[in-house]
Amino acid sequence: MAADSDLESEVFEITDFTTASEWERFVSRVEEVLNDWKLTGNSARTLSPEKGQYTSGTWGEKSQDINFADFKFYITHYFLKEECDQDEGTDSPKEDVLPLGIQDLLCMNNDFPPRAHCLVRWYGLREFVIISPGTNCEAIISESKCNLLLSSVSISLANSGCQVPMFVQIQQKWRRMYAGECQGPGVRTDFEIVQLRKVPSQYNHLSGLLDIFKSKIGCTLFPLPPVNIAIRFTYILQDWQQYSWPQQPPDFDTLLGGEVGGVEFGKLPFGACEEPISELHLATTWPHLTEGIVVDNDVYSDLDPLQAPHWSVRVKTAENPQCLLGDFLTEFFKLGCRKESTEELLGRGLTEEEGKDNSDISSALSKLTEPTATVPITKLYVSNMVHTARKHIRRHRRIDESPLNTDVLNSVLLYLFPDAAVEKSSENVKSKTAPSNSGETTEQDKNSDYNLFLQLKSAPSDSLTYRLALCVCLVNYNYGGMRAVAHLWQEFVLELRYRWENNHLIYGLTGGPPDLRCCLLHQKLQMLNCCIERKRARDEVRKTLEGSKDRERRVSGGSQNSRQAPESTAAATRELSQGKSWDSWSDSEDEFFECLSDQGEIEAPQTEGGKDVSKGKAEGRLHPHNNMTLLNSTEPLYVPVTQEPAPMTEDLLEEQSEVLAKLGTSAEGTHLRARMQSACLLSDMESFKAANPGCVLEDFVRWYSPRDYVEEEVVDEKGNTVVKGELSPRMKIPGNMWVEAWETARVTPARRQRRLFDDTKEAEKVLHYLAMQKPADVASHLLPCMIHAAILKLKEEESVEDIPSVKKSIQQAVSQASKLLHPPNRDYKKLEDFMNQLMVMEISITRARSLKAKFSVSEDEKGEDADELEKFVSSLLEEPEVAVIGAGQGPAGSIIHRLFINSQRAALLAPMDDDLVSDRKLTGRSSKVADFPPPAGREILLRTCVPRPAPYSKALPQRLFCVLMKDEFRLAGAFSTDTSFF
Amino acid sequence: MEEDILTTLKILIIGESGVGKSSLLLRFTDDTFDPEQSATIGVDFKVKTISVDGNKAKLAIWDTAGQERFRTLTPSYYRGAQGVILVYDVTRRETFTKLDNWLNELETYCTRNDLVKMLVGNKIDKENHELDRAEGLKFARKHSMLFIEASAKTRDGVQCAFEELVEKIIQTPGLWQSENHGRAVQLTDEDAGGGSCGGYCSLV
Ligand SMILES: Nc1nc2c(ncn2[C@@H]2O[C@H](COP(=O)(O)OP(=O)(O)O)[C@@H](O)[C@H]2O)c(=O)[nH]1
Ligand SMILES: [Mg+2]
Repeated sequence: MAADSDLESEVFEITDFTTASEWERFVSRVEEVLNDWKLTGNSARTLSPEKGQYTSGTWGEKSQDINFADFKFYITHYFLKEECDQDEGTDSPKEDVLPLGIQDLLCMNNDFPPRAHCLVRWYGLREFVIISPGTNCEAIISESKCNLLLSSVSISLANSGCQVPMFVQIQQKWRRMYAGECQGPGVRTDFEIVQLRKVPSQYNHLSGLLDIFKSKIGCTLFPLPPVNIAIRFTYILQDWQQYSWPQQPPDFDTLLGGEVGGVEFGKLPFGACEEPISELHLATTWPHLTEGIVVDNDVYSDLDPLQAPHWSVRVKTAENPQCLLGDFLTEFFKLGCRKESTEELLGRGLTEEEGKDNSDISSALSKLTEPTATVPITKLYVSNMVHTARKHIRRHRRIDESPLNTDVLNSVLLYLFPDAAVEKSSENVKSKTAPSNSGETTEQDKNSDYNLFLQLKSAPSDSLTYRLALCVCLVNYNYGGMRAVAHLWQEFVLELRYRWENNHLIYGLTGGPPDLRCCLLHQKLQMLNCCIERKRARDEVRKTLEGSKDRERRVSGGSQNSRQAPESTAAATRELSQGKSWDSWSDSEDEFFECLSDQGEIEAPQTEGGKDVSKGKAEGRLHPHNNMTLLNSTEPLYVPVTQEPAPMTEDLLEEQSEVLAKLGTSAEGTHLRARMQSACLLSDMESFKAANPGCVLEDFVRWYSPRDYVEEEVVDEKGNTVVKGELSPRMKIPGNMWVEAWETARVTPARRQRRLFDDTKEAEKVLHYLAMQKPADVASHLLPCMIHAAILKLKEEESVEDIPSVKKSIQQAVSQASKLLHPPNRDYKKLEDFMNQLMVMEISITRARSLKAKFSVSEDEKGEDADELEKFVSSLLEEPEVAVIGAGQGPAGSIIHRLFINSQRAALLAPMDDDLVSDRKLTGRSSKVADFPPPAGREILLRTCVPRPAPYSKALPQRLFCVLMKDEFRLAGAFSTDTSFF
Repeated sequence: MEEDILTTLKILIIGESGVGKSSLLLRFTDDTFDPEQSATIGVDFKVKTISVDGNKAKLAIWDTAGQERFRTLTPSYYRGAQGVILVYDVTRRETFTKLDNWLNELETYCTRNDLVKMLVGNKIDKENHELDRAEGLKFARKHSMLFIEASAKTRDGVQCAFEELVEKIIQTPGLWQSENHGRAVQLTDEDAGGGSCGGYCSLV
């Protein structure tokens, strides 16, 4: 039976299968399993499966290990899940009912299912059991072993009364050889398979196969009942030349213009560079023929595919078509895993220079604190910035060494910092560089796409950070890889430094403190912007004051050494604060919020502790507080101008809370913790004192913590009801920190206080942090933005094609990404899988596009057809196999026909002329070139019901399924025998 | 001791100043009530290990000040919290009306949307309640929170509040496990059939 078995008949030392006891044990194990799985009774189901049920229904699978001595097998039960499971009358097998497995042999409702186990396809079974060698186990090759297994099956079936067909898999797995048996009352069906590598010429057609079938049945009845025939030919179309994949890879070289070739900065590329549909398989089916109706022999055939009553199509997709978005993402993701530092990539020269700039911060600071008046700020064009940065770089590097082409670099920088491109009058500069997007945001808030950044912890899609991600990705992919990214990053940081040093806000970031919902890099950029804003505000004040001072100087002829004054004040303050370390977080050089003590203002006398009712001038008032007056005077209670709290990025906050937590939970720790955080309280108290001369702690508490000032109505001696207030008990505890702070607080308006937020230091910290990032770090920082961009791109492209399955996948991807991107420690394995999912979506969309291009109707054709074709294409994408309505004569059918004709001609180098493809030529076999290539596969299914083995036996189902391909010939036969009367 | 600790949970206590946040925390961690407790500055921090359903959990509890001016600090402590306790004072209505603000802030800054929220109405030992239980319940239901009335002074409900919260956190999948066991999304369903011929058994 197994034709090739002589090739493999070496002797394997496995187990002695002939040991009777092992064998008996095996048989009883099989029986046990059949009993466990309740496969032993006859099923009450007698209905034939419905049309197409094998495809539309779901298949179940149950599996278990089973040993023959120490040789491992799997026993597996495959079954179609049916809605009304066998419930009634299960246990009373009727004598005359054939087992389902035998009935199904003749059922015609599920021939050639698009997707099914091969035994289902060959034998039409809806339920069966297979015993196959376990993983890593030898195949069962020798005939004696095969026979041994088959007789085990036979005995187990007989002993258990199981009517489900049972198979053993023999020979190498890839040969898909099974031998099996099904037993019922007085009936047995043997399943056997022949497989060869070549089709013997005498069997290469229907008539030869009918001969085998009849001789195998060996029926002597005359006339023989007619044989029922179903035939399916499959044709493969591989050559899509005439419908070449329309998308050209983007032309990166002409990109500098901005919008050529489908790629520009800020847009991700999309789509396949090669045909994503590799093959189209057309199956032409004659579902119901009878012997004698068709002729198909070695000289003539009636089987013209164009005349086949039923057509169906499946498409085979290219394994991994190169897709642009996927490529971009992959390369970007890979970049995140590299180790090289910027220095290693760009050489020492450049980074050393950077390092020198950073190493001596104090000198940098003194440089910064010099009046920035070398270039009057109002004279500066923002467009100079990029230019200046450029010059800076050129000083260090010859142009030809630059990893990133200068033109590309310039256009990237202009895209990132569009404010630099616009020529503006000097007056406009400041207002225009202010953060721009707050206005747009409200409008976009309704748009859920815009808020995607919250889910992904990325950054708004109109932010600098997001745009940077796109650029880094593009530069990495196409303009020089990691070295170019290092170069771009360096330029980027340089530009930021330039903006910091020259008081220009960074364009494209929402104002305010860092948004903790965004990625860290975005927060850092926002932080830098906060610093720039504060510094600008300070310089602004300084300038106006310097202006007035100049005037003053001109009048009084003031001295030149005015710069020394703030320093001495600083020193004095340091002395003061050393004893009591109220200065918690800012242990920096004493930077004052404003250093104005030399500005000739009249100051309120500074009285330690502020206990004396000072008659000094009030300073730094914001507005009166709720019509309140001070407790000890009739003066209104003023809310003071206070220092803004320090903006923080999430890493700083993390650090801070770690420090706080480390102090422990002892009373001491708690006290220290409060102390460390009281800088803000102290500063507010000082501001309050300055704004409200003569105030007391009670006044402060009424503003600051109103519930700690308890008011009560009491009746005084004169019998009048008056409101009497006092501090809450907890505020009255002697020596509590609030009282202590109040006593320490001096009378100082916010602008003359030590800065709570040292913008200079923080800006330098941010810039240093940024400068230290390797290209891989940059890529990791930007990954959420990149995924954000990719998802938006997929959404956009999907909405054009409208593919429900992709739409659903995108939604799933968003929630998946949100889980992957939030935790601080990323799971790169999972992320990689996730990226692959995104690529699968891209490929799906590309496939849809390719098919639409191929099955598009020309405009002059009917709209009805267009609808039908559209439906056809979308089913091709979602279903394994799609029926062609109208077979070769329908709209889809004629397009497919034309595709085949064109491909045939191309293959034979026939002249391509669409006009020749007239209807006359379409149908005939008369034209020189056949419309269709020879079928890649032919399946012929023969069925009949005849008595066997003797003419007086019961008439029973017989079936032979034949597969004829270029390098495979397979006969799968099921022959039933009457076991009671012969 | 350390090894049988299931997990460390970050819990946050928020609400207007003076409602008794620090007192509740002190009652829970040290089982005392200190009328001499001074008003919190910034944030404070306490640790306690408790056992719920036989599982030990270490709680890192952050107590916050609540005054307007300190509020700018607190958002950072919302990050990564698994549970949050919102406290109001049943004898002061305005501490209850301010709850909406706190919830808003919470929504804006917490990093996970599945964190467990508990509403605590404190100081029930006092007379002249301005809020009855029903109002608290209604609010909690509206915002899907746990709810309990408590007194830091008499210890009523305090232990229970923290335990309930922790139990709920532990029951919420993915909230406390560092590794969440959710399966990766399956976007394609190739191999539906299975079997030795790969299920997808077409002719070619
Ligand atoms: N009667 C009573 N007073 C309480 C209770 N809890 C707190 N207090 C008091 O309320 C005031 C504020 O408490 P505290 O815990 O500092 O509030 P916090 O600002 O929310 O931390 C203190 O004087 C406490 O003694 C309580 O349950 N009952
Ligand atoms: Mg407190």
